[in-house]
Amino acid sequence: MDKLIEQSLTALLAREGLEPKEGDLQQFEKIIELYMSTLKTLHSVNLGAEELAPVFHPERTAK
Amino acid sequence: MAALDKPLHYLTIHEAQKLIQSRALSPVELARAVLERIQAVDGKLHAYIHLMAESALAEARVAEAEVIRGDWRGPMHGIPVAVKDQLDVEGAAARIRQFTKGVGDATAVRRLRDAGAVMMGKLAMSSMPDEPPPPRNPWNLEHVTGGSSTGSGAAVSAGLCLGSLGEDTAGSIRNPSAFCGIAGLKATYGRVSRYGLAPLSWSLDHCGPMARVVEDTAHMLQAIAGHDPKDPTSSTAPAADYASALREDVRGIVIGVPRAYIEECAPRTDPIVLKLVENAIAELKSLGARVEEVKVPTLSLGTIANAVIYYNEFWAAHKSSAAWVLKHGAAQRRARIYLGLLTGSADYIQAQRVRSRLREEFAEVFRTVDCLALPCQAGPAPRFTDMGPIDTLFKHVVAEYHGPFNLTGLPTLSVPCGFSENNLPIALQLVGKPFDEPTIVRAGYTYQQRAGWHVKRPPI
Repeated sequence: MDKLIEQSLTALLAREGLEPKEGDLQQFEKIIELYMSTLKTLHSVNLGAEELAPVFHPERTAK
Repeated sequence: MAALDKPLHYLTIHEAQKLIQSRALSPVELARAVLERIQAVDGKLHAYIHLMAESALAEARVAEAEVIRGDWRGPMHGIPVAVKDQLDVEGAAARIRQFTKGVGDATAVRRLRDAGAVMMGKLAMSSMPDEPPPPRNPWNLEHVTGGSSTGSGAAVSAGLCLGSLGEDTAGSIRNPSAFCGIAGLKATYGRVSRYGLAPLSWSLDHCGPMARVVEDTAHMLQAIAGHDPKDPTSSTAPAADYASALREDVRGIVIGVPRAYIEECAPRTDPIVLKLVENAIAELKSLGARVEEVKVPTLSLGTIANAVIYYNEFWAAHKSSAAWVLKHGAAQRRARIYLGLLTGSADYIQAQRVRSRLREEFAEVFRTVDCLALPCQAGPAPRFTDMGPIDTLFKHVVAEYHGPFNLTGLPTLSVPCGFSENNLPIALQLVGKPFDEPTIVRAGYTYQQRAGWHVKRPPI
């Protein structure tokens, strides 16, 4: 697996007090690398500065 | 009872309700027939993880007494149903919930019971914690059912219940419906309450019906649709009359086909799927629908945006149990946690912005068309021996046919549209405007009645 991705994942797991199951990083290498590369594609779309995520309405409650 | 041309367990809900209402069929007789069918074939299919035979017969006896005294509750009265493990059912612990408490009956389950349905039990789903034997496809036991409503696909297809509730976060109603040759309806987000549904991803999870024919999904949706104050995402828009959409007529309906997107997915799609879906679209055109090509420029990002939100929300929803999952959980669950952790806040927000853009684009497209038609799967159900433990995750990441409609919450219907050379089902997917389930039910029903694929039975 790409070293930077592996280090990032290991650090994120450690921050949460977790560790990967033995062999998982090797077993899941392809999907993790594919996922990280498609994240770049997600950011490639040209969205305008005012194109928002679904918006917050202060008058609406969760219930 | 007059002689039937099929065994009782293969009655559709639409057929059974007429017999029950006219008292030509007792709900007890029907429940017993389904239990016998389960006894006969579920040892091979592994669809049920919790069979509720005794309580089902008791409920069937109550339904029988009500019908006899003239208190017919509607089309679901006395109908044997079963639900995906992800939905809470009173008296049956959810195996998917190791660390969270259930609520008794999920609202959708409660509504089915209120409509008089007979609860047969809970069905397997993929990536369960203790990995019981995976359900097998009734059309060929060597092949998968599709997931994650795996047990629902197998059980409905093989006559182990007449209808089931599934859950769909990235195709989990439509994929097993397509692979198992049944109809699956993922209604608009907010149309069906998610209260009592163990969450995978709060903003993508949809609960919905899976049944042998389109008309049965309409009857089931009628029973479960509507506002639920216990679910903050539940819509207050009134439910439509879905049964009234069951007419064989698509004249005047304009069907949009996102050809550029289908072509983009074509290298990863089996040619038989493309051929059969094109045939189905041509059939709808010959029946009077107008077919137009539509362009949805951001559609190719819909799958990955769906995956990013899915995994990030999955991580948030399962953070407290992550240590256990990483030690004992199924491979798919472990992988979702790693991917969720690797998803940054900027990625999540970008996915939400893509979601907004895509909703705008669909709104524009739906100004000129009434529904969309496209494939519902990349290929026929694969063999178990050709599937790795996390193959589904690759489907979640590369542009395909399900995720964009979880992302946008649009209603979609999976309808059988033929068979591969090795006799495995293929499906057409119809996508509607928000809360316009009646149009896709009408188009799907019309196609089904003309094409006739729904009368074929699996060889089991």
